[in-house]
Amino acid sequence: MTGGRRLRLGFVPLTDAAALIVARHRGFFAGEGLRVELSREASWATVRDKVSVGALDGAHMLAPMALATSIGAGCDPVALVAPMALNRGGAAVTVSSRLSAALGDRPGAEGLAALLGRRRAQHSSLLTFGVVFPYSTHNYLLRDWMARAGIDPRRDVRLTVSPPERSAELLGDGVIEGFCAGEPWGAVAARAGVGRIVMRASRFAPDAPDKVFAVTEAWAAANAADLQGLLRALLRASAWVEDPAHRADLLSLLAEPANVGVASETIAAGLGGIRFFGRGVNRPEAAHGAWILAQMARWGQVASGPDIGPVASRIFRSDLFDDANAALGA
Amino acid sequence: MRVLVIDPDSARADLVAEGLSDVAPLEVRRASVFDEAEAAAFAPDVVVVAAESSDRDVIESLREADVGRLRPVVMFVDRSEPGLAEAAVRAGVAAYIVDGLSPARVRSILEVAMSRFQLVRRLRDDLDKARADLASRRTIERAKAIVMEARGLDEEAAYRLLRKISMDSGRPLAAVAADFLTFAGLMHGEGM
Repeated sequence: MTGGRRLRLGFVPLTDAAALIVARHRGFFAGEGLRVELSREASWATVRDKVSVGALDGAHMLAPMALATSIGAGCDPVALVAPMALNRGGAAVTVSSRLSAALGDRPGAEGLAALLGRRRAQHSSLLTFGVVFPYSTHNYLLRDWMARAGIDPRRDVRLTVSPPERSAELLGDGVIEGFCAGEPWGAVAARAGVGRIVMRASRFAPDAPDKVFAVTEAWAAANAADLQGLLRALLRASAWVEDPAHRADLLSLLAEPANVGVASETIAAGLGGIRFFGRGVNRPEAAHGAWILAQMARWGQVASGPDIGPVASRIFRSDLFDDANAALGA
Repeated sequence: MRVLVIDPDSARADLVAEGLSDVAPLEVRRASVFDEAEAAAFAPDVVVVAAESSDRDVIESLREADVGRLRPVVMFVDRSEPGLAEAAVRAGVAAYIVDGLSPARVRSILEVAMSRFQLVRRLRDDLDKARADLASRRTIERAKAIVMEARGLDEEAAYRLLRKISMDSGRPLAAVAADFLTFAGLMHGEGM
C-alpha cells in the first residue's frame, strides 16, 4: 500500500469531520495498512492552500470549495477531486437572543422579513449575518432561506464571514445578529444562552451537499491504491459513526481538544440532524456540482453560463466512490 | 507606518515591531482576533496574519467583497509547510514571512507587500477608469443625439451646446449629458 509513508489529512473542527477522526482513532485507516496523521486546521483558506500545494494529502472540505478551487474562483485554479461526500445536514442558522426576542412568535424567515421591513422604514442599520466561507453550502442556504421569504440578502442584510468557533462570542457581543455554520457551533451558541437555532439544513434542504473528502486530481492519479484504501476506511468509519450503539464513544472522541474540542453534551445536541452514512449520503454526484454552480451563479460569484456537466463529473468522482464501495461488498 | 498583527502569540508582533524600529512614525498593534470595526478605525497600512489564524477566512472574504477597505496582507507561514506561502501569495496575500525570520528582513518584506499591493490596485483602478470612460462616452453620444433631434442641430453644434453647458455650470460633460438623458426619460432600464 503506502510503503509506510505517512499520509497527512486535514480537518476543520466540526462534528461532520467525524469520519476522519474515527477512522484515525478507531483503527479504520490502520486496517487498510495506512499510516495517517490528522492535522486540525483553523481556516478553510488554509485547508485549500495546503491541499493545493501538497502540504496535506487530502482533507475534509466544503463541497463548494472543491468546485471553486478547481475552476479558480477566489484563488488560482488547482484541479481537485471529491470522491466521497462525508455528510448531509448539520448546517444551521442561529440568531442572537436579542433578534430572537424581537421576532417573538415568528422566529422563521418570514418573521425576519417583516422585522427587516420595519427596520428599513425606520432607517435602522443593516443587521449583520455571518457565514463560514464565501464558497460554502452555509452561505448558499442562508441566502436561499432569506430569499424565499422575500429578503434580498445582498441588500437587506449585511453578510460577512465569521469563524464558526467564535460565532457564539460574536453573537453575544452584538458584532453579528445571526450566523449559518455547521454543528456544533449552533448548539454552542444556544447552550451559551446567546442564540437560538431557527433553521436546520436537515429540514430546509436535507439533500444539499455539505462536506466532502477532497484530494488534488494529481494526487488521486498518482496514489490510486492509497486513495481507495482511504475511501474504504472512511466508509467503514462513517458506518461506525452512524450506528447508535457507538454514540457515547463517538461523543467522547469528538469532544477531545485535539478533535472538535467542544463538550460532548453540546455536540450531542446538534448530532441528530447530521447523516453520516446510508443510502444517498456518501456518493458524490455530478448533480451536486450543478446545484453548487447554480448557487455560485445566482449570487454573482461566477458568470452564469458555463456548462457544468463535464466539470462537475470531473470533480465529484462517483466512479472512484463506486470502486471503494464495491470492494466493501455494500 | 501602521501595522495590524493578527496573532494570538505576541512574539511575532514583537518581531515585527523590532524589525521596523527605525521607521517613524510607527504603530504596531496586535490583536489575537480580527475585529472589522477596530481594524477600520485603526486603518492599517498593512495587515499581518498568522497562517494558523481562523481569521484568514474573514480577511480573505473582505478582499473579495469590499474594495474600499482593502489592505495589503502579509501572512506568517511556518517553514515546515513548503509551498504554502506561495499558494497564499497566489490567493492574493501579498507576501509572507517564514518562522525563524530575522527582524532585519521584516521591513523589506512589508514594503514589498505594500508596493505590490499598490501596483495591483493601480491596475484595477485603471481598468475601472477605462470602463467608466467608455460609459461616459456612450452617455455623451446618446445625449448628443437627443439634442440634435430636439433642436434640429447637426452633430458638432449639439456637442458644442453640451460643452457650453458643461463649462458654464462647471460640471463634467458626462454629468451634463446624463442629465439630458434623465430629462428625456431615456434612463429607464439602462444601467449607467
